[in-house]
Amino acid sequence: MIKTDVIIIGGGSTGCGIARDLALRDIPHCLIEKGDFAAGATGACHGLLHSGGRYAVNDPEAAAQCISENMILRRIGVKCVEQTGGLFVRLPGDSKKFRDMFLKSCEETGISTEVLSPSRALDLVPNLNPSIEEAITVPDCSIDPFRLCMLNITSSLRWGGEILTHKKVVAVIREHGRCVGVKAQDESTGQTTEVRGRIIINAAGAWGDKIASLAGSSVPMTLSKGSLIITNHRLTNMVINRLRPSSDGDIIVPNEAVCLAGTTSITVSDPDENEVDPAEVDIIATQAQQMLPDFEGTRLIRTYAGVRPLLKADGGDDREISRGFRIIDHENGMLSIMGGKLTTYRLMAEKISDRVVEVLGLKTRCRTAELPLEGQEELSGYPLSRRLKSLKNIVCECELVTADDVERVAREIGTRRIGDIQHRTRLGMGPCQGGFCTYRALGIMQETGEMTPEESMHVLREFLQRRFRGIKPALWGDQLREEQLVESIYLGILGMEQEQ
Amino acid sequence: MSVTYDVVITGGGMSGMMAAITLADAGRSVAVVSKGDPVCCLSTGCIDVIADGNSPLESICSLPDNHPYHLAGIDVINSSLEMFKSVMSAEGGAYAGDARANRRILTPLGRHKTTCLVPGAMEFADFHPDEYIHIISFEGMKDFYPNYITSNYKNSGFSIFDAGVSTTMGIARRFENRQFLEGFISWLKGLDIPEGRIAMPAVLGMRFAEDVCNEISAELDRKVFEIPTLPPSLPGLRLFGGLKNALLKRGGHLYWGKEICSVEKSGSQIEAVTLAGAGRSTRVQGNVFMLATGSFVSGGLHASMDAVRETVFDLPVYLPGKRESWFNNDFFAPGHPIEKSGICVDKSFRPVDSRIENLFVCGSILAFSEVMKYGCGHGMAIATGVAAANVCGELV
Amino acid sequence: MANCPVSRVNPDFPGPKQAGPDAERFRSDDETSIDKWIRLCNQCKRCEVACPYGVNPAQIILKEQVRYGGKHFRPLASRVFANTYWLGALGSLIAPVVNILTPRAFVKRVLNVFGISTSIPFPQYRFHSMNRSWRWKGPRKSRKKVVFFYGCFLNYNRPDLGRDIRDFLASLGVRVIMPKQVCCGLPALGNGDIDTARKFASKNARILAGYIDRGYDVLYSCTSCGLSLTQDYPGILDVPYGRKVSENSYNLHEYILNLMEEHYIDPVLEPFHRRVAYHIPCHLRALGIGYPAARLFEKIPGLDVHILEDNCCGLSGSYGFKTSNEDTAVKLGITAARAVKAVDPDMLASDCGACRMQLEYFSGVPAFDPSEILMKSLKNSKAAK
Repeated sequence: MIKTDVIIIGGGSTGCGIARDLALRDIPHCLIEKGDFAAGATGACHGLLHSGGRYAVNDPEAAAQCISENMILRRIGVKCVEQTGGLFVRLPGDSKKFRDMFLKSCEETGISTEVLSPSRALDLVPNLNPSIEEAITVPDCSIDPFRLCMLNITSSLRWGGEILTHKKVVAVIREHGRCVGVKAQDESTGQTTEVRGRIIINAAGAWGDKIASLAGSSVPMTLSKGSLIITNHRLTNMVINRLRPSSDGDIIVPNEAVCLAGTTSITVSDPDENEVDPAEVDIIATQAQQMLPDFEGTRLIRTYAGVRPLLKADGGDDREISRGFRIIDHENGMLSIMGGKLTTYRLMAEKISDRVVEVLGLKTRCRTAELPLEGQEELSGYPLSRRLKSLKNIVCECELVTADDVERVAREIGTRRIGDIQHRTRLGMGPCQGGFCTYRALGIMQETGEMTPEESMHVLREFLQRRFRGIKPALWGDQLREEQLVESIYLGILGMEQEQ
Repeated sequence: MSVTYDVVITGGGMSGMMAAITLADAGRSVAVVSKGDPVCCLSTGCIDVIADGNSPLESICSLPDNHPYHLAGIDVINSSLEMFKSVMSAEGGAYAGDARANRRILTPLGRHKTTCLVPGAMEFADFHPDEYIHIISFEGMKDFYPNYITSNYKNSGFSIFDAGVSTTMGIARRFENRQFLEGFISWLKGLDIPEGRIAMPAVLGMRFAEDVCNEISAELDRKVFEIPTLPPSLPGLRLFGGLKNALLKRGGHLYWGKEICSVEKSGSQIEAVTLAGAGRSTRVQGNVFMLATGSFVSGGLHASMDAVRETVFDLPVYLPGKRESWFNNDFFAPGHPIEKSGICVDKSFRPVDSRIENLFVCGSILAFSEVMKYGCGHGMAIATGVAAANVCGELV
Repeated sequence: MANCPVSRVNPDFPGPKQAGPDAERFRSDDETSIDKWIRLCNQCKRCEVACPYGVNPAQIILKEQVRYGGKHFRPLASRVFANTYWLGALGSLIAPVVNILTPRAFVKRVLNVFGISTSIPFPQYRFHSMNRSWRWKGPRKSRKKVVFFYGCFLNYNRPDLGRDIRDFLASLGVRVIMPKQVCCGLPALGNGDIDTARKFASKNARILAGYIDRGYDVLYSCTSCGLSLTQDYPGILDVPYGRKVSENSYNLHEYILNLMEEHYIDPVLEPFHRRVAYHIPCHLRALGIGYPAARLFEKIPGLDVHILEDNCCGLSGSYGFKTSNEDTAVKLGITAARAVKAVDPDMLASDCGACRMQLEYFSGVPAFDPSEILMKSLKNSKAAK
């Protein structure tokens, strides 16, 4: 049994942000996450640190929050935020009226912009569609959501917070009508751990309503699925947005050595409904091609989808719903926070931590904006070319992850899950999507005793199956060819046919 | 260039090479045009005839009528495999096994994979599960983890040798050195390996490993065999190298490394193919042409978002359905529908639905070959390559 | 990795896939390169020939070698060999002195200090170079006219062979002109000095283009010069007339073969009973023209030819003459020589001067250019029809 003051349910950006915030305020806390960090919308997002430009016209409040947080995160997360800058490109046929509104709204919300002629824009991004009418710069950045969560958690761990992953909250313990704790069940062993605390924060994102119902409450929200596709190389060094009212496939974000293009917005009824429909892939690819013609013929290495927890709307387009966030006090010892964006995670964490502090009768203030994220020393950071010093002992050739990296991470977190290694090293995030390096990484983990051979075989099978599902909607052209090769290696050479 | 070859074969893989050797033996002038090294270089180096059952020649009879094996016929399948064996044997790389019975090799994951003809160095891979096997691995070697194997067999063990280098090719090169081999053997002796067999990843030399295998076997008085590895695959490279040198010896000509950028036709006859060069392109003329460019992996077929193209002569391609139906949901169930895709041919290996008269098709580009599903890759390539060569050789 | 000779013997070089397309994803023009190991690639182009997907790792690596060379200090040996042309000119000028000095032990030690390897003997220089020889040969009004791009090796080290080729072509009824020419530029490019390479290439391209416009074909004997003219002139060097030169350049043996196939010449081939180990230079494979010399050999009665194309000799032009690559070059040389000896040949043939030097040294088998074998057996009858 664990006793603490604050229980945080959910290890996405919000939950991790709250853990860091509370740690910096010296408040004992325990974070419980049913998977690995960033398992929900955080891990399936665009990787975009918004300038707020996208919301300036329709949601100025959200936009203002975005730009303010953008500037803070650029400061405190120097090594995990890549300052790519962004462009909003206007193509022939896009509304000039919208463009005027855009510029005006950005100015009003404090988002710095500069209007570029097509030739200036093409200087910055040479493979832009040459027929663009103009481009407007914004301070968009690229961010790795896994790293972000990891760095926030580092603060908590260094302070002494309790962090439980791969444990699912299955029950809320209530005494005299108040929530006093939770029961969390381990994903693999089935063992239950009891955690007791004075306040429970429900930061479970798309699963927020399910968690709230365990306490007899509800969190009304709209679940909106968004799909994205990953290209095999970095087509652009700047974030490219479409200068028009928000629609599908508007954004291309460079992320490490790949690009993420998206997204869509489809209402779903369950947070686990995250299968990508091939039709969505076609839409995104077509839209992206309009901004970057090179997109055609570029190999897509993966598709994925996340479910956004949006504040409840009353019908109408998902996109119209405010990206703002809301805190609900269920008045039974549980607070829920939902809505919001990755970009404003720190602000969300600050606000709800302020409420917690109030309830606990303390006076400590938030310091998360002042202090740099801890743990950044370990990151190789940017620019990417610095990683080419020596290519010895590489396990993941696509992302330059060495055997030492894998062993170190496996030892540090004592993990048996390949996903944990991937999130911390980027193993398997490159063009082959772990096609070969996973086999190697698992082989290494076996040799170092982290896993038995049977376990690693099982993990390998599961991984390959999951990987295949993520790639299947984009299987044509070079990707299809690559996939057939992977298949022939696993089935033909390694002999991994169906489970015996 | 104004010389006209009797036969020009596009694609230098298993079926293309076997067709070329067949034609060269029949006294025809042959050119093989290939845009790069073929897929067989990545393979286990073994000849899979059909995975089902113990007797390949029998199992083939129960394949669907449209399977390309039926175009070749049992007699040709059998004789072409024997021909393959004698060609490889003359190059110093004898193969064990024959078409009457399947046999098994050991994979790096410790599975027993069914195949038919194996390089000499894998002859003893089909061991009884109770027999003791000792796996030798090499320090730092990336894609080989002996635990995977030893966990599957109660009666097993492994040791790791430091070869001084850790890449597959680097280690294979070291085995060419007499001193290194002797050092390795004396290290092996010092291990006092129990009665049984010794297995190691396929790195016993750049050329065929049978001699090295036999020497180790004689010195240790144990049966020794190689385990095929992930690419770079020495057995695959040895297989391809053997066929290539066999063709060069027979006077075949190779045009390697450049893609075909245009095809010249005159009426219903193909006259020449042109290879894109850095400067001038190279024109290769022939009386008869063979298409042996392979399937998707080698680039003989290319899939766009909603269609499949044959990339050299733009022949009509059979497609089993729309993109949503190309793949099953299960990665491990061999037999994704897209495998059926390919070129449909008549009994003489000529493409149907095409006006062209002097073009023959063989190998995995043939529709319904379903290589992963039936486990018939190289066997079908050899059989259809030889069969098609026989037919077109008569035409010349 | 299966094809790369360097990665096989030098673990510091990660192989073409990692050094080329994989690492390229992490490179950017705005950032300084730090991948020093990129210089270990010997540009044999075997990866380019092998890749069936049209990826050219060698070209990607070459670009990075140039970028790296442009931003970092280049060691003395690299600078020397980038200017093989001037080295050759000097060597030729004082040939007798150079030829006496280079085999001497103390000279070798000095050379070693400056990063120049002496594991194989330095080639001999000749004063009577090609550019000091008669520039015109053959019938004035011939239908077939060529400009002979002889390259630095024939020019300064084997001018006797160069002149024999000139005379031989003339005897076939071809008008041969040896134009003013400088180094093709490949050694400079290979040593990371693209500016020098471009200077040489621009000059050559201008001169050759002038001849091409007057109906001449460009002939090259050295396959590395050939690769430079056809691939680099319009490609990475991008010099004026580059495309014109590229499209009008012929390999010597390809040209002779064409003459025979068009029946411009109908030579009588005398039997020549020898066993020949024909080592295919890596750059000949990269040209994608097949093996024309092998096709000429087929026409010689009694010649027992064994084609060896599985190994890189390791010298790779100036690459193996640098101490930093000495170990690699020696290991590869020994392996390639072993393949030659396994044939038990009377002689070995190779189109590339570097291959000949390296293999003759490591195998002990005398090395010839294929045209020398051809000339020994070929007796011309009638000239043009």
